[in-house]
Amino acid sequence: MPLLEINDVSVCFGDTEVLSGITLELESKQLLAVLGASGAGKSTLMRLIAGFDSVGAGSIVLDGETLSDTSKTVAPEKRSIGIVPQDSALFPHLNVGQNIGFGLSALSKEARAERVGELLRLVRMEEFASRMPQELSGGQVQRVALARALAPKPKLVLLDEPFSALDAELRGQLREEVRQVLRAEGATAVLVTHDQEEALSLADRVAVLREGKIIQVGSPSEIYNSPADVGIATFLGESVLVDGKVSGGKILTDLGSLSALNNVAEGATGVVAIRSENFYLQPNPTGDSEVVGRVFFGHDALVEVQTPKLRIRARSNGPFAPEVGMRVTVWVRGAVNFYPSS
Amino acid sequence: MQRPPIAAVALGLLAALASLIPIGYLLLRLFEGFEAALAELARARTLELLLNTIGLTVSVSLTALAIGAVQAWLTVRTNLPLAPVFAVLATLPLAIPSYVLALGYLSVFPWFSGFWAAWFTLSLATSPYVFLALSAALISSNFAAEEVARSLGKNRWQVIKSVTWPQVRPAAFASVLLVALYTLSEFGAIALLRFDTFTRAIYNAYRGSFDRTSAAALALVLVALTLVVIYFERRYRGDRWQAPTASGRKRRIDLGRARILAAVGLGIIGLFGAGVPVVSLIGWSVNQTGFDLLRLGELVASSLAVAIAAGVVIGIFALAISVWNLRYSSRLSGAVDLTAWAAHALPAVVVALALVYFGANLVPGIYQSIWLLLLGYLILFLPNALGLVGTPIALVPRSIEEVARSQGLSKNAALTKVVLPIALPGILAGVALASLTVLKELPATLLLRPNELDTLATELWQATEVLAYSQAAPYALALIIIAGVPALALNAQARKLISEVS
Amino acid sequence: MKLRGALALTLLPILLLSGCSVEDDALLVYSGRSEALLGPLVEKFEQESGLDVEVRYAGSAELAAQLLEEGENSPADVFLAQDAGALGAAAKAGLLTGIPDEIYSLVPSGYSAADQSWVGVSGRARVLVFDPGKVSELPASIFDLEDASWQGRIGIAPTNASFQAFVTAMRILHGDARTLAWLEAMKVNAVIYEKNGAILEAVEAGQLDAGLINHYYWYARAKDVGQAQMNSRLAQFQAADAGNLVNVAGVGILNSTDAAEQFVSFLLSETGQQYFAQETREYPLVEGISPADELTPLADIPTPAIDLSDLDTLAETLELIRQAGLI
Repeated sequence: MPLLEINDVSVCFGDTEVLSGITLELESKQLLAVLGASGAGKSTLMRLIAGFDSVGAGSIVLDGETLSDTSKTVAPEKRSIGIVPQDSALFPHLNVGQNIGFGLSALSKEARAERVGELLRLVRMEEFASRMPQELSGGQVQRVALARALAPKPKLVLLDEPFSALDAELRGQLREEVRQVLRAEGATAVLVTHDQEEALSLADRVAVLREGKIIQVGSPSEIYNSPADVGIATFLGESVLVDGKVSGGKILTDLGSLSALNNVAEGATGVVAIRSENFYLQPNPTGDSEVVGRVFFGHDALVEVQTPKLRIRARSNGPFAPEVGMRVTVWVRGAVNFYPSS
Repeated sequence: MQRPPIAAVALGLLAALASLIPIGYLLLRLFEGFEAALAELARARTLELLLNTIGLTVSVSLTALAIGAVQAWLTVRTNLPLAPVFAVLATLPLAIPSYVLALGYLSVFPWFSGFWAAWFTLSLATSPYVFLALSAALISSNFAAEEVARSLGKNRWQVIKSVTWPQVRPAAFASVLLVALYTLSEFGAIALLRFDTFTRAIYNAYRGSFDRTSAAALALVLVALTLVVIYFERRYRGDRWQAPTASGRKRRIDLGRARILAAVGLGIIGLFGAGVPVVSLIGWSVNQTGFDLLRLGELVASSLAVAIAAGVVIGIFALAISVWNLRYSSRLSGAVDLTAWAAHALPAVVVALALVYFGANLVPGIYQSIWLLLLGYLILFLPNALGLVGTPIALVPRSIEEVARSQGLSKNAALTKVVLPIALPGILAGVALASLTVLKELPATLLLRPNELDTLATELWQATEVLAYSQAAPYALALIIIAGVPALALNAQARKLISEVS
Repeated sequence: MKLRGALALTLLPILLLSGCSVEDDALLVYSGRSEALLGPLVEKFEQESGLDVEVRYAGSAELAAQLLEEGENSPADVFLAQDAGALGAAAKAGLLTGIPDEIYSLVPSGYSAADQSWVGVSGRARVLVFDPGKVSELPASIFDLEDASWQGRIGIAPTNASFQAFVTAMRILHGDARTLAWLEAMKVNAVIYEKNGAILEAVEAGQLDAGLINHYYWYARAKDVGQAQMNSRLAQFQAADAGNLVNVAGVGILNSTDAAEQFVSFLLSETGQQYFAQETREYPLVEGISPADELTPLADIPTPAIDLSDLDTLAETLELIRQAGLI
């Protein structure tokens, strides 16, 4: 039985339907990422699960207990759901230790101190127990916020864009730490984010939310490799869209004849989405394409290539990326996703 | 350590010296008749007065805190219907002089007197101080932290107690300090409602027996009480937590069906605090015949001129002290700040008589001129402005000032071009509150005004002194309407922010 | 710049206000009587004498306190007070220079300071106001009000200066202990009001049976509504009863100039005396000038044998009133 079940949940604010027909399941000790652009309804979904708003239709069930349906909304404090809000919202008047221990009032003093110590170690903040929130760096603040949410051993933890305020390097580092901490605690979590890299790298399952609807649910690789539509394909990572037509089981495009991952109907027209890392640029003095731009990142490079009919951006292995002005032949590796036009 | 601007230090020292005038005067009077003063203090009656005074001050402070806090929380944090209307209603008693509030009740209920009447009237009259401070503090507190606390198993009441209250406590304490000192120094309402406090005893000593020594002895006890109150405020208010810039939407708490109940409750408080007195005044005014509108116009003009001038003077001094004490804090600046507060619970008559003595004998050039009157207002009401002016000045980040300096601005230019404009709303709020208080002031105005300068308050006094209360009603109404303008201005900021909470 | 504009705007009222400063050559009168009352009389005086007069209006007690603080450096020339006590306080502090003989002699002794420091201008008598429908048997003495039959029926205004002056008279006549007993009886029997006018209104409205007030409140109201419309009546107590005290408003000179003396003479002239009599329904004090209305002639009021100069022991009086729990 899944730990969290969201069954056909809809909610309206005034006349606008913010979420419609959301159905999601999450197994115990798994991490579900809800991925969507801002305004997609992610925060609303979080608030529904946490119990700050009521559902308009449908139900939310956690561990067999119905928390929200049209007839009732269990109060947030009775749900055993921890939250880590976007701005961390540490209690400004309490120090780090007191923040983490805030939700442990049911425990004895000794048990509380022990649990707080455990979490301080887990998030590597042992020396900071008596610091005030104002004295912490951005990453430390988020680690404390996570520890605070985990302290009462909630059945579920909600992470609302927890890394958005941090710089890129810190974000990557903290992401890894959070994953370890969640695993160490055996926590089940829902992560809300607009950052596809974050969703793909952290989550066991990813749900893509767009305009209040779930568009696709799957493992990170499923979502990445087989986006349900062109929108997801361009949203998740960099894709080049090329017009194509199905002929003889192959798709004819300006980049040549490509094989499709999905089933295609003979004669259909549409677009194919090709990941920029799926291009192979073969140096060839007599090739029909020319490198016109290059951004070097070290581990790889983004190379802009002018083919006879198209201009594409291809990701190339850093040390071997062709220089501007070189002539190349463009190959597409593997099969591509074809989206027939409706 | 940077040196503070010379102007701030000069103005600050001047204000502190001014505040020392009444205390110095009292000491002078005390030593003229030390034995008699000791005898006065040793009487059993003094203890009774002390208990009365402390009892009233504590109960009014707690009640005003409760009223103001409930009003602020409901209007700012919940989905109370018509929240902006209730915000206005909560501020309105600020525009009503407490003696007019007392009169309003006394005229309807002649038996309205004693401790409970004084407690009731002063609690209603002072609750806006708490409401204004707390609504501002609540808006800037971290809403998300409260939701986190809910998710950690705290119910709504526990969240208020353990998360919301610690964040707004400094603001609450600062406003309760104003309430307590207001109660200690209040005379008009207390006299009408016949409850004996130190202040009433001081007035009686001056007016009934021309006994300046015992008046001074009692007044010095008040100064001591003030220092005790200030000590407790500073000791227990807690640190001012700068809430991290909270992101995300600020959401109102759904009260469900209780929202109607809450609205009715606030409506009743508003009815008691503003409705009853205003309605009874209007009732009287309607019965008026042959009322002189031209005279009323003159009085409005002179009242406004005095109040605005005093507000600006007080604002400038409050600004100087705040800049000095909050941005270039030193032991001396702290002492200046404390001195400004020390005279705040003195009854206006004591401050006024001290300035009469000081003016007539030492600086006859400004005696019975507008300048001495303004000095009196400065001593009486500087602390009212200090809180409002100080908060935004303390909050302007030092880094902003440093950036301005690096752009080639001098220290003073950085203050006037960067810090002051950022803090301007707070400074104006301080000026508005000071002007408002000056508009309502009576005893010091009577004693210190230039000859033949009449204001709405003095005319109101004349009317109640010789005529029936009913004939004073139009002046009282005019006063409330005019004082309502700065009161609503003070409230405008809060209402704007309230409307941003969804 | 905004800030500078705002500053300029606020300096304007200060300048305007400082413009109306004291004219040094004007006669400065501190008046404990109201502007509504004294204002027209002062104007008349200015017209007749060609002198400039400035008046500072406030409570008599506040003005006395102010005079005491100002001391020798007081800018005031004349002090016109509502009651003898305030004048007594100024006199005691040696601030009053004394009234010239020819003015002082206009008023019968007993209505001015014995030491000639101030002179009475108008008089007011303490009276019992009662509702004839509810009071069948008038109290003969003020002490009759101690009887339990008066419980809840008699109104007093203990914070009112006239009431306090009357209690002072009682103390002089009967001693502190007897007075305290009477006050304590009043704590039980009396309904407390802040002002005399409120007592009269209550009796007129039928809410109260009787009250202790000054005579002129009744006549002022009678003038407004017509004597025939008055429900209540006035009565005096028996001869020499403290309840019949006649207290005065008086005037003292602080800076003995020709203008000051002219002003004081004017108050005691036919014009001045008639004016007070008409406007306030108080008794004119100068002999030969008859009161307005059909007041009991001043000479016929069975006043207690009291020297008004002795009414300056207000501190002790307040103490007793306080002890009795009335204020």
